[in-house]
Amino acid sequence: MAQVTLSSGIQTYQKKSAANTLSRLLRYSAVRLVTLFLTVVVGVYLTILIANMGGYVDEILRGEIRENISASVFQNPAYRSYDVEEKKKLAESLIAQEEERLGLNQPFLIRSLSFLKNALTLNFGRALNMTSDSGSRQVSLILLERLPPTLVLFGTSNLLLFFSSVLLALTLSRHYGSWADKLIVALSPTSAAPPWFYGIFLILIFAAWLRVLPFGGMVSAPPPTNPLEYAMDLLVHMILPASALFLSSIFLSIYNWRTFFLIYSSEDYVEMAKAKGLSPRDIERRYILRPTLPTIVTSFALLVISLWTGAIITETVFNWPGLGRTLYRAIGLFDTPVIVASTIIFAYLLAITVFILDFIYALLDPRVKIGSAQ
Amino acid sequence: MMRNRSTTFLGLLLATSMVLAACAAPAPTPTPVPTQPPAEPTKAPEQQAQPTEVPPTATPEPTPTSRPPRTGGWLDAITMVKISPDAVLTQLQAEEIDIYASTLGRAEQFKAAQDARLGYTQNFGGAYELTFNPYGGGANGALFDQSTGKLNPFAVPAIREAMNMLVDRDYIVQEIYGGLASPKFFPITGAFPDYARLADVARELEAKYAYNETKADEIITAEMEKLGATKVDGKWTYNGEPVTLIFIIRNDGDGTRKLIGDYVSAQLEKIGFTVDRQYKTSSEASPIWIRGNPADGLWHLYTGGWLTTAVDRDQGDNFLSYYTKDGQPLPLWQAYKPTEEFYQLAQALNNNNFSTLEERRELFAKALRLAMEDSVRVWLVDQKAFSPYRPDVSVTGDLAGGIQGSQLQAFTLRFADREGGDLKYAMSDLLVEPWNPVAGSNWVFDTAPKRFINDYGLIADPFTGLAWPQRVESASVEVKEGLPVGKTLDWVDFKFAAEIKVPADAFIDWDAEKQVFITVGEKFPEGLTANRKSTVTYPKDFFQKTKWHDGSNFSVGDFMMLWIMTFDRAKEASKIYDKSAVASFETFAKDFKGFRIVSTDPFVVEYYSDAFALDAELNVFDNWPEYGYGNGAWHMIAIGNLAEENGELAYSAAKADEKKIEWMSFIDGPSLEILKKYLDQAAAEKYVPYAPTLSQYITLEEAAARYQNLADWYAKQGHFWIGTGPYYLDKVFSVEKTLTLKHNPDFQDPADKWARFAEAKIAQVEVDGEGRVTIGKEASFDVLVTFKDQPYPAAEIQEVKYLLFDANNALVATGVAEATGDGQYAVKLDADVTGKLTEGSNKLEVVVTSKLVSVPTFASFQFVTVK
Repeated sequence: MAQVTLSSGIQTYQKKSAANTLSRLLRYSAVRLVTLFLTVVVGVYLTILIANMGGYVDEILRGEIRENISASVFQNPAYRSYDVEEKKKLAESLIAQEEERLGLNQPFLIRSLSFLKNALTLNFGRALNMTSDSGSRQVSLILLERLPPTLVLFGTSNLLLFFSSVLLALTLSRHYGSWADKLIVALSPTSAAPPWFYGIFLILIFAAWLRVLPFGGMVSAPPPTNPLEYAMDLLVHMILPASALFLSSIFLSIYNWRTFFLIYSSEDYVEMAKAKGLSPRDIERRYILRPTLPTIVTSFALLVISLWTGAIITETVFNWPGLGRTLYRAIGLFDTPVIVASTIIFAYLLAITVFILDFIYALLDPRVKIGSAQ
Repeated sequence: MMRNRSTTFLGLLLATSMVLAACAAPAPTPTPVPTQPPAEPTKAPEQQAQPTEVPPTATPEPTPTSRPPRTGGWLDAITMVKISPDAVLTQLQAEEIDIYASTLGRAEQFKAAQDARLGYTQNFGGAYELTFNPYGGGANGALFDQSTGKLNPFAVPAIREAMNMLVDRDYIVQEIYGGLASPKFFPITGAFPDYARLADVARELEAKYAYNETKADEIITAEMEKLGATKVDGKWTYNGEPVTLIFIIRNDGDGTRKLIGDYVSAQLEKIGFTVDRQYKTSSEASPIWIRGNPADGLWHLYTGGWLTTAVDRDQGDNFLSYYTKDGQPLPLWQAYKPTEEFYQLAQALNNNNFSTLEERRELFAKALRLAMEDSVRVWLVDQKAFSPYRPDVSVTGDLAGGIQGSQLQAFTLRFADREGGDLKYAMSDLLVEPWNPVAGSNWVFDTAPKRFINDYGLIADPFTGLAWPQRVESASVEVKEGLPVGKTLDWVDFKFAAEIKVPADAFIDWDAEKQVFITVGEKFPEGLTANRKSTVTYPKDFFQKTKWHDGSNFSVGDFMMLWIMTFDRAKEASKIYDKSAVASFETFAKDFKGFRIVSTDPFVVEYYSDAFALDAELNVFDNWPEYGYGNGAWHMIAIGNLAEENGELAYSAAKADEKKIEWMSFIDGPSLEILKKYLDQAAAEKYVPYAPTLSQYITLEEAAARYQNLADWYAKQGHFWIGTGPYYLDKVFSVEKTLTLKHNPDFQDPADKWARFAEAKIAQVEVDGEGRVTIGKEASFDVLVTFKDQPYPAAEIQEVKYLLFDANNALVATGVAEATGDGQYAVKLDADVTGKLTEGSNKLEVVVTSKLVSVPTFASFQFVTVK
């Protein structure tokens, strides 16, 4: 009976404990989600305000519309026989049409709230001036058409960069002071140059001089129609831009990770493990990699979502149809729906990543307890 | 352990998702589907295989036989790509591309292209000038808003006029543009016909306003002193404050405007002004100079720039546009105060308010002089851009639009040493906006490929801007007596008529509800007259020989659909009403007086209008189904109309935005599925659009055959874009910004039809004669006009004029040289003329204008006069 009571007590305790954990998790998740959502709301609204210069862009757009339409009417030979008043009337009606099309007949404050609502509900709507590559005004298509080329180039090069730098750094941390270690340290300042800088040199050497690789573009012109040939062609065209992205960051990245691993390698518990006579492989896996895993995962997750932004100049140098150039063009054209859509997607990706990372930390590190005050 | 697995699993999941995301599928390419023979089968070009003797060799090899002359385009295929302008020369040298059809304008690029021995064409398009703020108020008439008390020297016309002499245009041409420009003094383009017509007047004025810093300083000093300004330590001051000129200098674009701004600032500083150089981009500068109130005094001068994309044969409207308040309804223009005489002249030239071309010339000459005196703008240079290509490529470039703006490029682009071949054609952009013929992309980058796909009733001369017949067989033009119209080319019949009556059965309007045309007799029972009548005749076998790319024969329905669409979109009762089409329709309707189908076999159409151009050739209306944004077959337009009627697509961007639907594209994107749906529907119903009218011209059998042809075409090519030109659109790759064009085997004309336009026949001129002339005695000089060292035929020369300048650079005499043979002319100065010269060095300048090219050629000869 006593056993039964004890067992029942334990079960009750376990149930209570599980209930508490669940309650803590839910409370934490709710608070965290609300906080993140509010952060996203503030961030996106700030983007809307900045992209529109607090409403001044309306004045610029109105001015440009008036200027362009006036010129198109008054300097158009077709309207040469019109008298001035007729031309003015025509120009004013065209100006009013265009202002209405762009929503400039509404105050900016109201439009800014509409932009925010549409963004938060992922209702991206239509671009003001831009069209997608295939000719659609839908913002989602404008972005989605550029997503695969962006992911294929930046995903490949960044994954390659990430894994090779972590693995090489780990190896170097085991050979601190070796010639390879010194070489990486010496080469790390080369990462001060951006990828497009390397890109120009790579193009000059391999495309213009040696003529073994293409100057740019995603595929040959005309593109191969066979999917396998297309994929091979794509790979060939990726070599230079991916190399430029890789070369511009690899040495500094290795240097950073190697320093990071070295710090962890000199912790007391690692020294203790060595004293116990554990194998270097075990020490590396259990005593160095394990505690560094949250940082590695965080870095990896942020890298994955950073792919969304592309790289404007590198894409331009290599004539690569990426999202970076799309966003750059949208900013130049004051195309707020495209800017806002790009921002909100990044903001949501970031918020979700941060939220998930909290749980991943708890999984990876037993010291971390979600929702705990400590 | 569980956590390790979770970590591993999570890591694998992330990595896999990245890899999967990275494996982007290539752009879907429609699988070629075996096509059924078109309803009206296309005849393959005949291969005249001649039996040849077997050569006495072991290996039989094909023997060269007499092949039929090539038809259509010279090339087998053209691949168009987008590349960065910075990479052009490298890629040409590396043979990655064969031609760059957009333009480059930097001097170092031009030199590099020449060093690499690349071919190139040059075109005039950009013009740069100094725009002045002419506002002047206050006691001396040269103050900005009186509360500021700031002086505006440019309120004084004489100071603006003197600015012409303060700037050295040759310096700008050589040092800033590296020779890729020519000096410009007037609001007309140096390479266009009006300049050639007035070359003698222009040269005289150019001599008068040539760079003369001392003279400019003297004039400006005198005027500044009249305003009450004083020079203190070499700096102009007014009311004790330095006279500071706010100069808005554009620092975007190709960067040359910044250099111009710095040069002009230095010149102004040299004569005592303080210059506040404000470097700004277009969007930063516009609110100040063009939209701001000039009276506010926020700026004094601005580096202006203008663009022309086609050879304009009548620039008479430029005076009103650039110098008067009627130019634009913007604040700056409202500050313009030309003299009454200049304003009247500007209006007369704008409205063609003169009776003869001689009268126009006189008005124009006066306007040029008054424009220089007014000088609210000081024109600086006409920029010459260039388009480079590989040495083995040959092509025709338009004098204004360059290669990408040339209609003839489709017929002349080739490898110089061979027929056929695949050519890679690059531009700075491509596939910018949706293609539809009615209101699609108007970007030059999208128009350039369409020029290869289109054909034309008439085709524009790239060197003169006149029209030549392409599909049209003959044309006649009648113009009301008293209107200033002339004829240059022989192919058009031209005459004046006392009155031009519009026949009662001509169509003048459209009833969108009943879908029938309204005749002149119905709308104007009292009768109607017009200023101009154009009649064109197409060849007898036109409908048999002309095919759309999908295999459909051209028909009267294609012509009629254009007419219906011209009216229908602008009518509120129409199912495809588009309010954005109303303005352009009203412009057309203002002068339109009717059209009449005289005959359908051969196709003969009359066109009546009150609008007219100065050249008879440009008054011919070809009725070709060019909708403004591409050629359109009636069945293409029919399915587009169905999609618009049902609210799923819209031709215009404005309507698409208003209705929140897709902007129609016949080549890619979400439009294709919708168009396919309506193509299927039209095919099933044997749909004849606008049946009350078009059923007279289109049979149900033709409708069924056309829809079947288009369906086959779509299955094979993956798009709906067809034309009748020398190439057809093969494949479109939007994300990759590439498209391919292929040779159209059905095109009827020989490939060398337009070969004579392969190169602009710009004359070379030499003047020779006595180096020493006695004052008061006759003198003669020889003028030699050649092209590529061969005499320039006299029949092709418009005029050879001469201008005689004395030792003080003053114009003494002008006249016309006497033709003595092909390419040979004589200038004879009689005793009276030489008697006006003084001792010293004189200059005889010769201006040669050709009928084939609007660019005049100048040459001069220095001689000494003695008593």
